Amino acid sequence: MLVSRLIPRSAVRTLPSRQLTLSRWSRGFASASEEKDLIIIGGGVAGYVAAIKAGQEGMKVACIEKRGTLGGTCLNVGCIPSKSLLNNSHLYHQILHDSKHRGIEVGEVKLNLENFMKAKETAVTGLTKGVEFLLKKNGAEYIKGTGSFINENEIKVNLNDGGESVLRGKNILIATGSEATPFPGLEIDEKRVITSTGAIALQKVPETMTVIGGGIIGLEMASVWSRLGTKVTVVEFLGQIGGPGMDTEISKATQRILKKQGIEFKLNTKVVSGDTTGELVKLDIDAAKGGKPESIDSEVVLVAIGRRPYTQGLGLENIGLELDERGRVIIDSEYRTKIPHIRCIGDVTFGPMLAHKAEEEAVAVVEYIAKGHGHVNYGCIPSVMYTHPEVAWVGQSEQDLKSQNIPYKIGTFPFSANSRAKTNLDTDGLVKILADPETDRLLGAHIVGPGAGEMIAEATLALEYGASSEDIARTCHAHPTLSEAFKEAAMATHAKAIHF
Amino acid sequence: MASFAAVCRISARLGSGRAARGFTTSSRCLAAQNFVMPALSPTMTEGNIANWKVKEGDSFSAGDVLLEIETDKATMDVEAQEDGIMMKIFAQDGSKGVQVGTRIAVLAEAGDDISSLELPPDEQPKQAAQSTSEPAAPAPREEPKAASKPAVKSGAAAGGTYDHSYPLLPSVGLLVHEYGISKEDLSKIKGTGPNGRLLKGDVLAFVGAINAERPAAVSSRLSKLAHLDLSNIKVAEKKAAPAPKAPEAASKAPEAAPEPEKVLVQLPVSLEHVVELQQRLQNSADVSVPIAKFVSKATAFANNRLPAIPRAPTTSELFDEVLGLKEAKSTKFSHGSYVPTVTDDFAAPRRTSAPKTDIIDLLAGPARKSSSSPARRPAPRIDARAAPGGTHLFGLLVPKEEKARAELFLERFKVALEEVPETLI
Repeated sequence: MLVSRLIPRSAVRTLPSRQLTLSRWSRGFASASEEKDLIIIGGGVAGYVAAIKAGQEGMKVACIEKRGTLGGTCLNVGCIPSKSLLNNSHLYHQILHDSKHRGIEVGEVKLNLENFMKAKETAVTGLTKGVEFLLKKNGAEYIKGTGSFINENEIKVNLNDGGESVLRGKNILIATGSEATPFPGLEIDEKRVITSTGAIALQKVPETMTVIGGGIIGLEMASVWSRLGTKVTVVEFLGQIGGPGMDTEISKATQRILKKQGIEFKLNTKVVSGDTTGELVKLDIDAAKGGKPESIDSEVVLVAIGRRPYTQGLGLENIGLELDERGRVIIDSEYRTKIPHIRCIGDVTFGPMLAHKAEEEAVAVVEYIAKGHGHVNYGCIPSVMYTHPEVAWVGQSEQDLKSQNIPYKIGTFPFSANSRAKTNLDTDGLVKILADPETDRLLGAHIVGPGAGEMIAEATLALEYGASSEDIARTCHAHPTLSEAFKEAAMATHAKAIHF
Repeated sequence: MASFAAVCRISARLGSGRAARGFTTSSRCLAAQNFVMPALSPTMTEGNIANWKVKEGDSFSAGDVLLEIETDKATMDVEAQEDGIMMKIFAQDGSKGVQVGTRIAVLAEAGDDISSLELPPDEQPKQAAQSTSEPAAPAPREEPKAASKPAVKSGAAAGGTYDHSYPLLPSVGLLVHEYGISKEDLSKIKGTGPNGRLLKGDVLAFVGAINAERPAAVSSRLSKLAHLDLSNIKVAEKKAAPAPKAPEAASKAPEAAPEPEKVLVQLPVSLEHVVELQQRLQNSADVSVPIAKFVSKATAFANNRLPAIPRAPTTSELFDEVLGLKEAKSTKFSHGSYVPTVTDDFAAPRRTSAPKTDIIDLLAGPARKSSSSPARRPAPRIDARAAPGGTHLFGLLVPKEEKARAELFLERFKVALEEVPETLI
């Protein structure tokens, strides 16, 4: 017990200098630091946007983040790095396979994965530093550490550089986000069994990859590695790819296009178990509808079955906050928990787990605190999948409307009839618009095609303002652009398309 | 400055539009229009006619002042926006308290032979009074009604009228032309779009092209979608296994199993010095400091900056490690929340039986609450036999992996009480 003998002595040595600390304790935690107007736990998109907004509203605000960089999953290991990989892998793939018939002859094309990843990191670092700067600029304090509730007004922060502090706040905002849901029975090591986090940081291009879950994250990662040369198989439990929110017709069209690109799909198929002991990871799969069981061996298995709220280490039990059955923090329509000055936004609570949704909520929640009123229109939140072609939608899907017996009319327009898509030799996809059959009011817009992610902004704007398909069709669109396809689909909805 | 532009405009539009649709029964209504007392402000209900600037039979052109109207606030000119002829004046100069909507004159279109025109019937002021909000009447409107309303530039939004934001949506603008809807009538249509914006469906319902209830129905459905669905929330069962994160496991030992194995850590602590000091203080300064205060101070001191509890790395830490972004950072220190218990009678790890009330407990209670976080450990308890003076076995029941941390805590606790109790006060 050498250690324990030494410790008392060191304790004695340090004791006199601790007198300050002792006197502080005697006054309790409260005096440890000044009271903030708002303490935000989590520096992801929800947290940092709220911090900036609160700073702009003149509040004394502190944002606690343990990752060491701001921006959360989105900026560090989610949306942003994956877009870098998607864009660059698309370029690589195009140069490799799509240049000859465009009249461009290139010599040897080689992938340098290390630099490929470096490009991604440059983007990430630039953006996270940018966010840090914005916090500073708006007077929001950024604390690197892990926050947890001591009680309803105090947050203990285990600082990343050692030590700790206690913060006291009039308002506290929980914005701790989400984490990848692990697959039961498969231990994530981020090397062979990976989540999206590992999928953006593989150190070599694997020969084979199986993706469990054909949602947006799974398909984006499948696209990246498939373009770089991996043989990718996507196993999806549901009968369609893209998740339940994607319009079925669009989903089918997307699947056809991605299949042409070399991704293999197994729909209605369940992964029963996994075995990582061998050289390859073995998955036993079972077709959900009476298929026969089989097994797939692959070098890497990507688990992309969804994300779950992250409240680990937050000390919610110290303030008696409850979660719902899916682990989400329970809130009311003004994002208040049952303790009114503690609010919660982003992935860790209800609604779609999307960065732009969290961002909207962040602004709204600060406005609720500062002005008593905020607004987020949950009916107008677009979704985008950044494969090639991109898939984007906003509003309701055809199957949504059908299942609720809501009448609708449809207008579609294929990109193969769009002049710009033709000149780009990039004509896969279509625009589909759903509108009320009587009032012609826009109900939903669904796009698979080049630039869908940008085009969806127009649909969202139209939906937000209650436009009819005719309003879109009567708005001038530049020629020749891809967005004309959107206009023509709107024309097809209330009348007839001109170019199809 | 007010004007009655719409009066003339309406007549022109009605002329073509209605005739084409075969509603018109007589041409005289098209040319001669009732001109009613305009509302010059949203709150105006009545006004006085100061004087007419045109006489019966006079022609006037757009921009001419037709009359002056006095209200309780001001005197205002009413301008003509289009050419016309003053056919008949009903409310003469100096008329007092003329209700808004009462017919005050009849106007004919420029070039009409007023001698051959018949006066239109006076539907006022009944009509004005019932200019209700609901655009619900989907049936084609009766012509004179539409024509007999004065339009005032200020866009009076009194009663059942709506101030629409301009520009109108392209589809709405087109329908307005197609159906010849006056600005006046338009302001009677309730918009069902966001912030009351007038939508295509609203106009279609107004002219009876679609079901009148449809726009509102679509709107209310969409506005439901605009909110988070917070109905049917099922609260996770306390400590239920399927809950993604068992929150209680998180605070101290994130990776610990729900029921971590606990060990008892004990250390004998002599309270001799404390008692001695207590006596000294009592004698010299006549201050009585309870033993419990020393104990709670020592607890707070010993809890400060304990080594962090070892835990498995999180996914993002793993990731950072994989990327080599930063050296595996580990939080070196953290604040403990241990509260030692006197365990003199502890033979084996077990909890003390029902807590006995004792004086130290009572004294120590509030002090501890303020200086330590809500108890996650066994409740602060000092056995009844912890009578001042002797050596006592202080103990902690902690999860196995925290053993070293708890030992350090007790060592410090001991040092504080045995060797330097003075510094505690």
